[in-house]
Amino acid sequence: MQYILEDVINGILMGSIYGLAALGLTVIFGVLKVINFAHGSLLMVGMYVAYWAVILTGLHPYLALVIVVPVMFLFGYFLQDIVIKPIFKAEKAVREPITVIIVTTGVWYILDNLSLLVFGPQYRNLQDNPLRGKMLEVGGMLLSVPRLWGFFAALLTALAIYLFFQKTRTGRAIRATSIDREAASLQGINQYKVYNVAVGIGTAAAGIAGVSLVPFYNIFPSVGVLFDIKCFIIVVLGGLGSIAGALLGGMIIGVIEYVGTQFMAATWTEAIVYGLFLVFLFLKPSGLFGVKYEW
Amino acid sequence: MRILELKGVNKSFGGLKAVEDFNLSIEEGEILGLIGPNGAGKSTIFNCIAGVYPPTAGEIYFKGENITHQRPWDLCREGLARTFQIVKPFSSRTVLYNVTVGAFATTGKRAEAERRALKVLRRLHMQDVKDVRAGNLTIAYLKRLEIARALATQPKILLLDEVMAGLRPTEVDEMVKIIKELRESGVTIFVIEHIMRAIMALSDRIAVLHFGKKITEGTPKEVASDERVIKAYLGEEYGTA
Amino acid sequence: MGRNTIRIGPLVLAGVIALGLPLAVRSVTYLHILVLLYLYAYLTTSWNLVGGFAGVLPLGHSAFVGIGAYTSTVLSLQYGISPWIGMMIGGILAAIVGVIIGLPTFKMRGAYFALATIAFAEGIRVMVENIDNLGPIRLNGPRGLQIPPLNTGLLNFMFATKEPYYYIILFMLAGVLLLTYAISRSKLGHYLVAGGEEPEAAMALGVNVARAKLIAMAMSSFLTAFAGTFWAQFTLYIHPKSVMSLDISFEIAFIALIGGRGSIAGPVLGALLLRPVTDFSRIYFGGKLPGLHLIIFGVVLILVMIYQPRGLQEPLTRAYRSVTKKLFGHTEAA
Repeated sequence: MQYILEDVINGILMGSIYGLAALGLTVIFGVLKVINFAHGSLLMVGMYVAYWAVILTGLHPYLALVIVVPVMFLFGYFLQDIVIKPIFKAEKAVREPITVIIVTTGVWYILDNLSLLVFGPQYRNLQDNPLRGKMLEVGGMLLSVPRLWGFFAALLTALAIYLFFQKTRTGRAIRATSIDREAASLQGINQYKVYNVAVGIGTAAAGIAGVSLVPFYNIFPSVGVLFDIKCFIIVVLGGLGSIAGALLGGMIIGVIEYVGTQFMAATWTEAIVYGLFLVFLFLKPSGLFGVKYEW
Repeated sequence: MRILELKGVNKSFGGLKAVEDFNLSIEEGEILGLIGPNGAGKSTIFNCIAGVYPPTAGEIYFKGENITHQRPWDLCREGLARTFQIVKPFSSRTVLYNVTVGAFATTGKRAEAERRALKVLRRLHMQDVKDVRAGNLTIAYLKRLEIARALATQPKILLLDEVMAGLRPTEVDEMVKIIKELRESGVTIFVIEHIMRAIMALSDRIAVLHFGKKITEGTPKEVASDERVIKAYLGEEYGTA
Repeated sequence: MGRNTIRIGPLVLAGVIALGLPLAVRSVTYLHILVLLYLYAYLTTSWNLVGGFAGVLPLGHSAFVGIGAYTSTVLSLQYGISPWIGMMIGGILAAIVGVIIGLPTFKMRGAYFALATIAFAEGIRVMVENIDNLGPIRLNGPRGLQIPPLNTGLLNFMFATKEPYYYIILFMLAGVLLLTYAISRSKLGHYLVAGGEEPEAAMALGVNVARAKLIAMAMSSFLTAFAGTFWAQFTLYIHPKSVMSLDISFEIAFIALIGGRGSIAGPVLGALLLRPVTDFSRIYFGGKLPGLHLIIFGVVLILVMIYQPRGLQEPLTRAYRSVTKKLFGHTEAA
């Protein structure tokens, strides 16, 4: 019984990191109404940036956030500005949601293979970082310390994003644009700038998730693919555009994975996650907290 | 013969009651007009009849049969066709292709469907634009295309949703002529229209809708002089052609 | 030069060249490349039936390739059934799965549909990777199945040289192109186009859009499975990553999109342009620059989507028309 509880808690911790990874995706969707198929690759980039930041500076992984967050923000900002914006600006035939999906899939392929080319296929990890392998004993259960750090990172990031959208001027401008593009631009809000910032934030969140992962996860060019699909599942589960939904959805997935592996092979839990995803797609596409979008 | 009958039709969207207790019957071969201020619920009624969504309550009968929950494609096969207020052409294809799609409703062979489509186009004086890409048409032709497509399905009753909107006065007169010719050929017409001149000239009878309820029904002359109708329209932003 | 000659001329020319190529090309490597080229042209044309004509974006077609490959292989290895029969059975199985997938997903639009197809395809792949034995059937999980090259001959769909495979896939490609052409002119074709462009209007004109899409899906998955059987018989080794991976699904979709989905020539054109990129970058850059061709794909895809969303077949057709107009005074259309 105790082991199940331990699995559940570790699952929640890991799941919150999944949620953190999915946070960016849900934010980008909430604002731009597009599903960014390249999100997993952004996460992968975040992991590599975190990895190199730690290796080159010798900093504690979480201190590397100082480098990772701005770099990722700018990366996302310019990705939106240079690649996605032309499609938004083009006429209707090009601007349908499907075209953006196709383009972001292209970005996915480019990023993944570029990093394969540049960094090589080998698995890397931060062997000597201060968090690796550390366990915390709480009431007879062993909790993974890096995942615990990730848990808090996830909560703080979610809170920060929520407050940003609620309290700051830019944040409110973004929310206004996401509700009604034209009305917002009549108020003097530059919608393209808003989109750039939103994607920047989403990408920065992916960067933070990357930082949470590098202490204990392997880094390799196609690591993003596993997370990409998982993030979609989480976002659909939790509701597109919902921050709380992303965290909750992530935790659900995490618990399924951790508890599931007690009873079956890891890859079967993968199949269960896919199955759950399909069930939600068919029965409740708006997820737990989101709004149904007709598109 | 009563070709279309609506009995106690209600339609609510969430808490909003769009149509309330609507009763109507249309005789075969007549032209019935439906008018009312914007938002009165006219298109909602059309959508209920055409199977886009079912009414929340009430029944609809077509040629004596209960069609309340039937889907649009089945209704089309049975002879009920409609046009859309906001035109929906298959923009990337030619006019002929568009109408051929409609013609396929009663045949499986392409040659025959194309022949019927050409006939319809000639009837509506559109044969010169048959090879034009639908996306490049003017609004007048687009409205006519909507009718042509629906006509190609060989309907017994045709629901026309504001086919005159956006047309110039001469174009409106042409359209009235075309619709009258359609009735001569045996098609019952149920038309929603805002342009008073047109609907007064066209309709045998007119029903008036206001806030989802039918407030009166009668000949064009009766309706035009009905106080309730005048009150419903006064104070509304509303223009006649 | 008559209109029909201009229309049919290049096709006849291409056909003659294709038939005669194996006589001129003696290198086994190049023949292999050509076979793969035709295979992908076949796959993208089959995909086009639902991804182009029906107007949706299926990103999980590798599942059908896998179903075809595994069905015919298992049937021939364990029960001695000829791969040709296995191919048919695989096709039928794939069609059934395709309809099952399509029934709930065609109601969705855009990204939801694409995601659902990815989830289905990956789910099936994960299951096959995990199952060693399904009752009496041996699937061998991630290790896959190997076909011993024992009995050659047409009946066994096994040949010692590449030439017979070349002609078989060429024949399949020609068949599927003819089918696509016939469908585009048929009632189903019109209904699919209408349902894809303006579903509400189509429904009002008597089109059961959902049913038309399902029919297209069944055809598409049926034909795609054939490619799986061909692949199994050609390479004599199949495993989940080789026949069911997401990479294959995406490559098929990318090629069709770049070439121009919804047109007949588009997918073939896409394959003609992009497959050589894959093959030559593998030959010349091989180990030194892995994944280069995928980067090129990605860039081309993005550029095409921004500047020529209907695919490269549009500007190419226009160029062809202006050339024939200059040479012969008219094009094949008017």
